[in-house]
Amino acid sequence: MWKAMIYKEWLKIRWFTILYALLGMLAVGYLFLKVQHDTTFNQPNNYWNLILFKGLKFFSPLKFIPLAGGLLVAVAQYFPETVNKRIKLTFHLPFNENKVLLCMMGFGSCCLLAVYLILITLFSGIAAFYFPSNIILPALVSLIPWFLAGFSTYYLVALIVLEPVWKFRFLYLLVAATFIPLFFINGSTAAYQPVNITLAVLTVLLSISLLFSGYRFRKGEM
Amino acid sequence: MTSYAIECNNLTHYYGKKMVYENLNFRVEDGSILGLLGKNGAGKTTTINILNGFLQPRSGECLIYGENTQHLTPQNKARIGFLIEGHVQYTFMNIHQIEKFYARVYRQWNPEPYWELMSKLKVTSRQKISTMSCGQRSQVALGLILAQDPDLLILDDFSMGLDPGYRRLFIDYLREYAKAKKKTIFTTSHIIQDMERLIDDVLIMDYNCVLAQQNVNDFMRSFKQFYLEVEDPSIDLKKEDFVVNVEKVHNKVEIYTYESEEFVKKFLEKNGIEHRAFQQVEMGLEDAFIGLTGKY
Repeated sequence: MWKAMIYKEWLKIRWFTILYALLGMLAVGYLFLKVQHDTTFNQPNNYWNLILFKGLKFFSPLKFIPLAGGLLVAVAQYFPETVNKRIKLTFHLPFNENKVLLCMMGFGSCCLLAVYLILITLFSGIAAFYFPSNIILPALVSLIPWFLAGFSTYYLVALIVLEPVWKFRFLYLLVAATFIPLFFINGSTAAYQPVNITLAVLTVLLSISLLFSGYRFRKGEM
Repeated sequence: MTSYAIECNNLTHYYGKKMVYENLNFRVEDGSILGLLGKNGAGKTTTINILNGFLQPRSGECLIYGENTQHLTPQNKARIGFLIEGHVQYTFMNIHQIEKFYARVYRQWNPEPYWELMSKLKVTSRQKISTMSCGQRSQVALGLILAQDPDLLILDDFSMGLDPGYRRLFIDYLREYAKAKKKTIFTTSHIIQDMERLIDDVLIMDYNCVLAQQNVNDFMRSFKQFYLEVEDPSIDLKKEDFVVNVEKVHNKVEIYTYESEEFVKKFLEKNGIEHRAFQQVEMGLEDAFIGLTGKY
């Protein structure tokens, strides 16, 4: 089952995932071009001073990059299943329907995670040329909720796209519009540290929400 | 003892307050080809959806190989080939990718019939299914079902969007395959001439009920159409017990019935209904279907 499903899902999202990874890397590159520019004109000591004591978030251009990835991968993966109710083919495969959905979700999450890890590694690696660890580590802690927002967006978009009834889609959209901003509340660097675990747990719980849309589809909601 | 691939018992379904059918019962014998005929909205797709577990009936149950269709096991699903209305398939794949995908899904996968059909298509190996014509997509869908080698084929409006050539190709392949391998087929189609070439048994549904379920040849022998021109156009035959349906234009009357010519003639004579040009009309399945269900 796994091999077949992974093959199908990869065919759907491969170009979108690769494109997103490239654009994400470009965004990280742009971020450090800006850092290079600012350190050249402000002197490194002044620039570090701004980051450490004046609350400058040099990494803020990355804010919505993970969210965009979650949105893109989810739409690329789940929208083709809803065209002509093609999800019927997927549910008709000789596998348990919930396992099929979890497999799809697991694969999408892994692809997203792989791109995120590439971006984080690239970010950390380049940042090490410019900053000491007491600037890099709080920056990484600040990035965590944005990346969690990316996963949450992916799960909520999956729930919305697979939902068979427009009324319910709108309802889920309202839930998403209320929930996702929780990851983007302005605060000082690393301000989310105490709640990162809670947000991670909520994101993991959200990951199984698409089972509900799948269940509603199989019961014939329309 | 007769074994059944499909058994639907006391099936009742509503969309909101609108009843689709109540206490619908039918069975499909193992190895037979059954055509489900009905007007738009009679519940054909509803029945297909219930059979595939995509719709929960309000009450009653459908069994496929003894298992409730709401909880089919993966083993049982592997025995069922399903053709979705419009020959829907994974159109983001090309013919090689889709074959590779399904070959990993089904253990008894036999690619030969698939590639035999694909060799007849004028498509490139990298061409996405989404860029193919409706007829070509139908051949891909059919090839995949044949390669799956299921025991039961459920085909939802297989002729939809196909030109006459592709329809004929589809039917001839399907019938030969089903008869050679003793497969069971449950199918719907809007084009009844196609059904005539394919099916052994017919199940005709109207709103809320089953009008006929029997061998198609028996049905065509027993169901008759008589034409006559009555002297008095105001005569109403609809209420007579033996009359299934009457179509009337001025004094020209078509009577649809299961009774014999002799019976109808005697009835007309006994009731003093003056008429001329009485004759039994040869019917095709489409005529019989319209005769049974009415034009409206």
